[in-house]
Amino acid sequence: MKRWLVLPVVALMVSCSTIDCPVNSLVQTKYQFLDSAGEELTLLDTLTVVTTRKDGKDTLIYKSDSIIYNKGVGVSTFSLPVSYTHPEDVLVFRFKGDGWHTADTVWIKKEDRPHFESVDCNPIFFHNLTAVKCTNNLLDSIVINNSSVTNDDQVVHFYIYPKTGD
Amino acid sequence: MTTKSCISIFTRRLAISLLLLAVSSAVSAQMKFFSIQKDSIPLFRGFAVSFDLVGAGMLTFSDYGQYEAALRVNLHDEWFPIVEAGLGKASHDDEVTRLYYSTSAPYFKIGIDRNMLKDKHGANRLYLGLRYGFTSYKVDISRPNLTDPVWQWDTGFGVKDAACKYHWAEVVVGIDAKILGPLHLGWSVRYKQRLAHSEDGDFGNVWYVPGFGTYDSNLGATFNVIIDI
Repeated sequence: MKRWLVLPVVALMVSCSTIDCPVNSLVQTKYQFLDSAGEELTLLDTLTVVTTRKDGKDTLIYKSDSIIYNKGVGVSTFSLPVSYTHPEDVLVFRFKGDGWHTADTVWIKKEDRPHFESVDCNPIFFHNLTAVKCTNNLLDSIVINNSSVTNDDQVVHFYIYPKTGD
Repeated sequence: MTTKSCISIFTRRLAISLLLLAVSSAVSAQMKFFSIQKDSIPLFRGFAVSFDLVGAGMLTFSDYGQYEAALRVNLHDEWFPIVEAGLGKASHDDEVTRLYYSTSAPYFKIGIDRNMLKDKHGANRLYLGLRYGFTSYKVDISRPNLTDPVWQWDTGFGVKDAACKYHWAEVVVGIDAKILGPLHLGWSVRYKQRLAHSEDGDFGNVWYVPGFGTYDSNLGATFNVIIDI
């Protein structure tokens, strides 16, 4: 029996650990265009979304890590990032068609909460959407479909209703 | 009565007889497992205290670990009701993610071991046992100077004094070998399973739980110095 006392030493030598972080660490809001009947709508105009950074500049910089959504054509759903802890995000949706362009501003109010997976995983913030409003140049309205913003990229958070006839 | 119906009745009776035999064998085996050998040795055989060296070593040489002691009652060298208590601590500053995690709290386990050796009254023992563990603890998680990648605002990531509770069960296999006089040495390997947990603030997961260890590992081990008293 005393020989068996050395067994844990061997076990400790062969033990290992794993890092188990979520596959999707991006926390984004997903938008879907709908018509007035509630059917999915494909936007044929060019859509660009910009926001203003801390230094006062727009984030429309042609680098993938700083453009939040650039020149999507024929989109019906798209995803945008959410600020970590700012109480309100202000986004400008720029629409451009043949010989015309217009823009709408969207204000999104939210509550933020830190989300921890493990010390091995980068920290992220989850959010709870509390209110949304927009100007009405091309857009008729935006409504919150699901207020919980996590790293689940299948959830549609906002329905966007363009004005009829645009 | 036809031949077919006779065969059917015979088959049913045979099946019921075999089932009853299997059940009675299982019950008999279970009763034997839970019984105490009849001999001249008294039921109460004393106490033993033990201290775990693995947890203390981990606490000394790594970012987390625990000081743990146990009090075990010896019933006829066969059954060993046991209470384990300890202080679990973690203070981890991750170099890659720059996340800081800290906690320090007591924990408690209660359970029972059975000596599986045929020679129950010998100097050595082979244990199989179960534990229920519980801890109530607070965690601090922080990461300073976290910059928003899009908006560029600096923000802090932090959870302060979040109260948590954790319940778990353990299956224990261990040995205990007599070294000299009342001194024994032994080790145990434990499979741990979370039963329930709660945390204030809905901040996601915890990393190190006092007494349970890191959340991503279900295996644990102790190396014990045991003294019969």
